[in-house]
Amino acid sequence: MNLFLLAAGGSIGAISRYFLGLVLMNRYPNPPFPISMLTVNILGSLGLGIFYGLYYGEIPLGAYDDPVYLSIGIGFFGAFTTFSTYSVEAVQLYNEKKWTKLVTYVTLSIFGSILTFFIGFILL
Amino acid sequence: MKEQWKILIAIGVGAAIGTLSRYALNLITLETGYPLGTMIENLTGSLLLGFLTAWFLVSVPKEWLKAGLGVGLCGGFTTMSTLAADAAFLLQEYTIMNSILYVFGSMVGGILLAWIGYRAGTILSSRLKQKRAKEVEG
Repeated sequence: MNLFLLAAGGSIGAISRYFLGLVLMNRYPNPPFPISMLTVNILGSLGLGIFYGLYYGEIPLGAYDDPVYLSIGIGFFGAFTTFSTYSVEAVQLYNEKKWTKLVTYVTLSIFGSILTFFIGFILL
Repeated sequence: MKEQWKILIAIGVGAAIGTLSRYALNLITLETGYPLGTMIENLTGSLLLGFLTAWFLVSVPKEWLKAGLGVGLCGGFTTMSTLAADAAFLLQEYTIMNSILYVFGSMVGGILLAWIGYRAGTILSSRLKQKRAKEVEG
């Protein structure tokens, strides 16, 4: 049952990421740099911070028998956010020799996600 | 079936497989006490997506297959939110150095592996294309 919830959370997370990505791409067809996945990652990290803060009051590392942790934390937020697209988008900026955009994108993605996680975790 | 439904189902199935694999790797590495699992997933997922991105430029697959493997499988296997939580966890439970190593290792390692995957995908797919062209000639 836990594995089913985990897989379902992951599927819903990835499909939500896909839809939000489509919405953002339609709204901003020519962004200065890849904002779709940046927005997704920052929103998802904020969401995970809020979830951990409200539900656990701490950062759980090994709650692997807890169905809520598995379906929402590992499943939904885990799959809603993505790292592989971040890496590939960074490589594409590197290949196009867009150095300023590359540094901005990488910094905002990684430190923006960590910062918003903290904000969600501490403020709520 | 409508193309849009095929894409959604492919993303759902790919993400389920990716998420379950991520969970399995997390469990295996749990006893180390460090969030090593997430780092391994993010690095190998970047390698795979780099490879697929280059490969799909040459041999263009059906849209649902591309979405299932890229958005679903690689997207569901890798994660940014757990990385953020891990960085905070390391800062809290270990030292700031552990957290910095983890974050920079993922940040730079992910890009490096995606670049290696992309190069490998470009080289392999162009070789395959040449081979096919020769077969047609011969």
